[in-house]
Amino acid sequence: MKIQPWVTAISDKLLPNSKAKLITWLASLLFSVSLALLPWIIKLDGKPHADWQQFLGRFHPLAVHLPIGFLLLVPVLEIAGIFRSSLREAASFVLGLAFAGAVLALALGVLLAYGGGNTGTLVTRHMAGGIALTIGLLLCSLARPCCIERGIPIVYPALLACMILLLFWTADQGGSITHGSNYLTAYMPYTFKRLTLTSTKRPPTSFYAMHISPIFDSNCANCHGAAKSNGGLRLDSFDLLMKGGKDGLVIIAGDPEKSLLFHRVTLPPDHKQFMPAEGRPPLRPEEIALMKAWIQQGASPTATTLAGISTGDERPELPLQPVGDYSALMPEIQQMERTQGAKLIPVSSKPEDGLILFTVDAASSFGDAQLATFQKFAPYIVDAELGRTAVTDDSFDTLKQFTQLRALHLEETRITGNGLAKLRSLSQLTYLNLSGTQVTGEFVGPLDSMKNLQHVYLYNTPAQHAASPASTTAPIARSTP
Amino acid sequence: MKQHPLCTDTEHGHDVMDLPVPSELKREWARLQTRRHFLGRTGKVLGWAAIASLLGDRALRGDTHPTTSAQPGSYSGERPRLPHFAPKAKRAIYLFMSGGPSQVDLLDYKPHLTDLYDKDIPDSVRGAQQLTGMTAGQARFPIAPSHWSFGRYGGTGTWVSDLLPYTGRIVDDLAIIKSTNTEAINHEPAIMLMNTGNMNAGKPCLGSWLSYGLGSMNDNLPTFMVLQSKLNTKENNQPVSSRLWSSGFLSSEYAGVGLRSAGDPVLYLTDPSGVDREVRRNMLDAVNEINRQTFQELGDPETHARIAQYEMAYRMQTSVPELVDLSKEPKSTWDLYGDEAKEPGTFAYNCLMARRMAERGVRFTQVYKRGWDMHDNVTGILPIICGETDRGCYALVTDLKQRGLLDDTLVIWAGEFGRTVYSQGGLSKENYGRDHHPRCFTTWMTGGGVRTGITYGETDDYSYNVVKDPVTVRDFNATILHCLGIDHNKLTYNFQGLDQKLTGPVPASVVKGLLA
Repeated sequence: MKIQPWVTAISDKLLPNSKAKLITWLASLLFSVSLALLPWIIKLDGKPHADWQQFLGRFHPLAVHLPIGFLLLVPVLEIAGIFRSSLREAASFVLGLAFAGAVLALALGVLLAYGGGNTGTLVTRHMAGGIALTIGLLLCSLARPCCIERGIPIVYPALLACMILLLFWTADQGGSITHGSNYLTAYMPYTFKRLTLTSTKRPPTSFYAMHISPIFDSNCANCHGAAKSNGGLRLDSFDLLMKGGKDGLVIIAGDPEKSLLFHRVTLPPDHKQFMPAEGRPPLRPEEIALMKAWIQQGASPTATTLAGISTGDERPELPLQPVGDYSALMPEIQQMERTQGAKLIPVSSKPEDGLILFTVDAASSFGDAQLATFQKFAPYIVDAELGRTAVTDDSFDTLKQFTQLRALHLEETRITGNGLAKLRSLSQLTYLNLSGTQVTGEFVGPLDSMKNLQHVYLYNTPAQHAASPASTTAPIARSTP
Repeated sequence: MKQHPLCTDTEHGHDVMDLPVPSELKREWARLQTRRHFLGRTGKVLGWAAIASLLGDRALRGDTHPTTSAQPGSYSGERPRLPHFAPKAKRAIYLFMSGGPSQVDLLDYKPHLTDLYDKDIPDSVRGAQQLTGMTAGQARFPIAPSHWSFGRYGGTGTWVSDLLPYTGRIVDDLAIIKSTNTEAINHEPAIMLMNTGNMNAGKPCLGSWLSYGLGSMNDNLPTFMVLQSKLNTKENNQPVSSRLWSSGFLSSEYAGVGLRSAGDPVLYLTDPSGVDREVRRNMLDAVNEINRQTFQELGDPETHARIAQYEMAYRMQTSVPELVDLSKEPKSTWDLYGDEAKEPGTFAYNCLMARRMAERGVRFTQVYKRGWDMHDNVTGILPIICGETDRGCYALVTDLKQRGLLDDTLVIWAGEFGRTVYSQGGLSKENYGRDHHPRCFTTWMTGGGVRTGITYGETDDYSYNVVKDPVTVRDFNATILHCLGIDHNKLTYNFQGLDQKLTGPVPASVVKGLLA
């Protein structure tokens, strides 16, 4: 191998050649090893400790930015040093400052996490990053003079580059702890969001995801999660839950009483084996009831409803389909409002929630021709309020192109329903109001095939069923006076 | 600084910057002032554009025609971008039962009390509570069980008093909150707290906050309308006045607009004889022009509110007659609301009007019914007022539901507090009185965003203290805002150095259990 002599050459050059340097190297090695062992020496146990630790620890955010600045300055100085050597000399000093600052920030950070009882993946990662950075900066300080004196080109710049990348990652973890993990992207323009993030992910609809998993997340995940998995048990995903822990399975589908997890959370709170442990608040009765029913009925990860359990959302709502960003069209939208009298109003401050077409101002003068002029905005309109307007059955040809439509109001219009079937292409439509029109049953029938169409209003139409509203007038039981 | 044209003081005015006014106002004035000077230099033509920019985004688009530039809500340059998130409800109807309905006799069923007739309420229940001056001196606090029996209604089997047979029909659509509680024990502070989030007058009410935050859906009708029901002199009517629908420190554009319960719904709305619509228009254009000049010189934002209100009144000349014209209502409407609804000013009529306003894009309608204050003669008065209101509530909810409006309309039924379980004054098998009770009272909501068919919160066996899931007035209002897509912590307005909000400075939380 040709690499062999090259490595030896480098190591020869890097290794200390005097006693003083040897001591420096050894001391650094010892320091690095002890830093690396820090997470095992000071265990983040999730409990708050002495107040003075927290007091000092809270200066961590203040102290941490100084070494960051120094570290970022180093490559600037190194590169600028190519043109002005005096700048390059300063780099070594700044690097030393960065290291000193990092030690201080690390010390305060550990105090903050330990004193404040912080745990979790983010904290663990941020701490690991901080330790690695401190060690890395020490190595940089040691490697720099060697590399320059002995003319080794790669090691120091590569190390420095790694440190800067590591810095970005660590800072991101830290920022996420303070501001939340979506802080940077929350206000990203929608166009970028769609390109970069998987924000179109469908929200969970299963009973497990909506009702059971959140119980574990808020009560159990601190000790049975990715950061810490006591008893070898993790409850942060369905598969891990069903895998169980050191003591075997914790969920026996169909049998809550035999399920270890259910048994442990329903023990008397002063029992030694009671969960959540360490005096944390017990699960609420309704949480236990949900869990019991879920286990009893097969502990399925996909079932959306459970017999006998009313959670108020049996009818899972259609996840809202985000529409495109209409911001660029705002001038035209406003122009439309002026010329047509109808308004396009944002559903919310988020563009992806779409627009509502309001026609109430223009009602009697708003007909099929006016509606057709809004076709351009069809991809952004989620709710068309055309009640009491002059639209007719001809409008269905326009409306079928409003593919994002979730609600369509046609009450008190001259619609007879001829062509209503054209709306079947509106896959998002959940609400259709035909009250007070001349719509007949034969035209409404075909809409039955629209799975998402949950609310069709036919009050005061020929299509309305003869049966009166099924409200019972008499009480079903009485008290004895 | 130029003087206001109406100012008779001939001396040279002080500079605004020297006056002892809040620095915030000075900044606002300076901002307008600078813009005005800049425009003064660039000439009168550009001056129009400047007014337009002050009038908000609609006008910024170049729409400076005098008849349209002062649309309501057009002074929206400073309105927040709302809703914060996609709302379930676009509008709300608030049925306000002024006086404090008796929860024990209506919806908070306590069967156990029958056995405790005329026994004193245990001290442990009452605790160290300070009572009103009306009962604090009573030697005894004898328990007065409800005079009426209760029945179970609907698929949910909810207990409802015999006084509310119509409400019984809609219980499956309601979220009944038994644990509402307030801090105020007297009418004025309590009703202010419910409506404005503060016991002292001067804060904007819920409707004004909504109007300010969400703006108008229909430019031809006010965003926030108030309907008062006619007085019944047999009842003990506590005063209700415009302080309850005041916009407080928000622009007066956002104040509630009341319709009168008798005669012309809006006074002087019809043009006097000899004045046709064109004359009216010309006059308004001229007045608006003068107002614009005033604004240009003085920079008082209330001038805009005045222009907007004149324009609104002009448009209401055609929209209100259409709104109150019930001749096209089908027979089924009268079958539902009852013939009482034909008489303007009755609660049933107001409920019908509230439905018509909802159809016409009014954002917030508040119906007031006074007379729930029953310190004595509960058995005499309560059946009367229940008879006046029960069917209207049922008809409104049913009507909205059958017309497909309940999906995006929030309906709220509430008073300012409840009534005591013990009798005020003499207790007999036949009659009793009830004092104010702030610790628990029953309210209900339904419609857009509300989880229906539930009873939320619990009171103790005496309907005295909340034992589970208390809902404070703050939480109640935060929940209403949430249904309309508003984060109550974010809908703020900077006034007197504070970011003021409806729910006030004490932390409030949206009641998740009430949401669909």
